[in-house]
Amino acid sequence: MIETPHNSAFMVAAYIVTAVILVGYAFVLARRARGRSR
Amino acid sequence: MTQAPRGRWTTAVALLLLAGVYVRALAFTPTEIAQGPAQKIFYLHVPAAWSAMLSMALVGLGGILFLFLKDERYDRFAAASAEVGTVFSLVMLTTGPLWAKPIWGTWWTWDARLTLTLMMFFLFIGYQLLRGAVADPGLRARYSAVVGICGLVLLPFIHLSVYLFRTLHPRPIVLKPSAPSLPPEMLITLLVSFAVFTLLYIGFVVQRYAIGESR
Repeated sequence: MIETPHNSAFMVAAYIVTAVILVGYAFVLARRARGRSR
Repeated sequence: MTQAPRGRWTTAVALLLLAGVYVRALAFTPTEIAQGPAQKIFYLHVPAAWSAMLSMALVGLGGILFLFLKDERYDRFAAASAEVGTVFSLVMLTTGPLWAKPIWGTWWTWDARLTLTLMMFFLFIGYQLLRGAVADPGLRARYSAVVGICGLVLLPFIHLSVYLFRTLHPRPIVLKPSAPSLPPEMLITLLVSFAVFTLLYIGFVVQRYAIGESR
């Protein structure tokens, strides 16, 4: 029988990094758009 | 509604839906027994790779259309797509090693698939460095179009690299001639994630295009 490996730390790290990059870029775009409209 | 608010709304909706993907992937999709929880990185890594490749394809297409039609809107669109593609490539290149380490035992290996995707990332970076370095708008658009077309040519090699070379990277399980080899719950989560990443790409590009237009 296969024992499921305990590697959830890698999964959590990947999900956090993805959220930080995508939400971070959304904020950068919003700031740049505000800067342009001034 | 002008382009920038439309893009902001699309991005906001896509980010909310991304939160839904997180919930579905983490709480309502079964854990693969051999790889464990790390396999769930799949639901972010593969759609991020799809969006990065879609970005590069459209940078190339924008370049071709610019060279033929001399319409600077295509150049602006290609520039927007390249910046967004860099972001998705970054997601792909960080989630990939985080998945590889527990499964392959190494963060990185210089096999064909990984090396070619890294090359695509460098093409995105090079594309933007080039745009920053050339002052003349006409020349900048023409040179950028050539780099974009190089990226477009690279895409089939990236997709076929797992068939053409010996590589640790698994072969496609959805984009292949036969039916997808995934249980239905996993396949639905993956397809929803594909849709959300595509919507996110659209939202980002519309916003970025509007910023480029106001320059």
